Amino acid sequence: MTDQLSALTTIFTEFYYWVTVVLMFLIHVGFCMYEVGASRYKHHQHTLMKNTMLIPLVTITWFFFGWWIYWAFPTGPGLAPSIMNESAALITDESAFSATWYTATSDLMAINLNDHISGVFWAAFLLFSWTAASIVSGAVIERITTFAFGILAIAIGSVFWTIDAAWGWHFDGWMLKILGYHDAYASGVIHAIAGGFALGILCVLGPRIGKFSSSGEPRNIGPRNPWLVTVGLFLIYTGFWGFYAACNIPIYDLGPEYGMEGVTFWTATNIYVTPTTLSGITFNFLMSLSGGLLAGYVISKGDPFWTYSSGLAGVITASAGNDLYHPIQAMIIAMIGVWVAYKLHYWVERKFKIDDAVGAVAVHGYAGFVGLVICGFVLNGYPSSGYSVGAMWDGTTYAAINPLGMFIGAIIMFFVLGFFPGYIIARVLHGMGKLRIPREVELAGLDYQILEDASSDEKAVASSSR
Amino acid sequence: MATVSNWIDHLSASEVAGAVYPGVGSEGILVIVGIVIWIGWHVVSSMQESNKMNDIARRRPGKDDWKSNTPDW
Repeated sequence: MTDQLSALTTIFTEFYYWVTVVLMFLIHVGFCMYEVGASRYKHHQHTLMKNTMLIPLVTITWFFFGWWIYWAFPTGPGLAPSIMNESAALITDESAFSATWYTATSDLMAINLNDHISGVFWAAFLLFSWTAASIVSGAVIERITTFAFGILAIAIGSVFWTIDAAWGWHFDGWMLKILGYHDAYASGVIHAIAGGFALGILCVLGPRIGKFSSSGEPRNIGPRNPWLVTVGLFLIYTGFWGFYAACNIPIYDLGPEYGMEGVTFWTATNIYVTPTTLSGITFNFLMSLSGGLLAGYVISKGDPFWTYSSGLAGVITASAGNDLYHPIQAMIIAMIGVWVAYKLHYWVERKFKIDDAVGAVAVHGYAGFVGLVICGFVLNGYPSSGYSVGAMWDGTTYAAINPLGMFIGAIIMFFVLGFFPGYIIARVLHGMGKLRIPREVELAGLDYQILEDASSDEKAVASSSR
Repeated sequence: MATVSNWIDHLSASEVAGAVYPGVGSEGILVIVGIVIWIGWHVVSSMQESNKMNDIARRRPGKDDWKSNTPDW
């Protein structure tokens, strides 16, 4: 940085992403509160520890290989050539956005006086990774081992979501070119995949003891602490707002970027480097949150647990196209997503005996899936990228957004990269006898030993006179 | 170990070296150490968890026994 203007732009961008990272930390705080509020007293501390330990596990693996995958895999590999080097191989050459700069041994993965962006951008994506793993965490509470959850958290947080981000979120991703995929604020790349992954695990893990009667009727194991659930969800909303900002590039001149001679157009862009505004997405975030809350209140007949969750589901549904929707479109789309997610949750629960303890598969998975499908219709014909416009299946240019491409994209997110990997890894862990805690421990409570020790400490202190 | 011993010399070079952490060039060794710590953590914590679970399972506490252990403090 040798002139003041480029220094200001660079350090503003560095600070912008740093602030979003701090805001997004609230998502994790919210998930922890929410899960503890939803779990029963005898499982509290284990529930909290499980979700807490995903932070270091996903962070270090994101450093070792997760971030590299994002930059290496946009071409598939082998599905569509990169616009940077025209090769369909893994992007590991010397080009500007190559994965070679983001191996764990790179000197850009540390304090580097010539680079102000890599660390904050790495961290912004890392916070998305925590979110993906934390979504899964809620669904499996009170019966999964911490070991198994740690492995599954790394799989979703540092491997599978980062592959889908390379494919469908990277400006060079093959899904944009071949399918016309568009998912500005991650209906699919975070939420549908995490919901699908959680469902895959739940199919193997089984329900909590007592969730279903002998005749198969589901029983409600309601949140133990509704206040903790409420505050947790409000914190998730707040962090999600930061997530929206983190998905944007705050200041960019699209004229030279698109090769338009003599044109200067400074703007914020979404992750695909197409224009939007922080102002506009603020309209849409709040209107989709409102649509979700309104629909959730009515459909659940005022149940607080579902009403709060529906606010989140509403934002998730509208997120794919919230860079372009009108606010009222965002509100209506949110309402549709909530209705589908709520109905599907209870249908799947009854039909397949799936015990999703916090409704994570519904709120994130089904709402995200529906959001992608709706986006294909509402944004039909918009370019998926600013770099070029082409036909579907072409691969060398970018297809326009369309309903079929978005539907296929939703299948890839929920099933191909979500459900099946979750199911397969859970089967392997189950085969090793490492997936589920012993029945005796589930009945006694995961915190049994901790409570017994605390009680004994209390008695010792109470009986002492000095 | 120090990569920089004089900031004036460092910043006035024709091309400023960006990496300033101690031990530039030893990143590969650091990554190997990090991965060993990561895998080791899984092994140790898994053994601890299994022992704890087996211990509780062996004692077969009742499903409401935890209530008598709930401290007031």
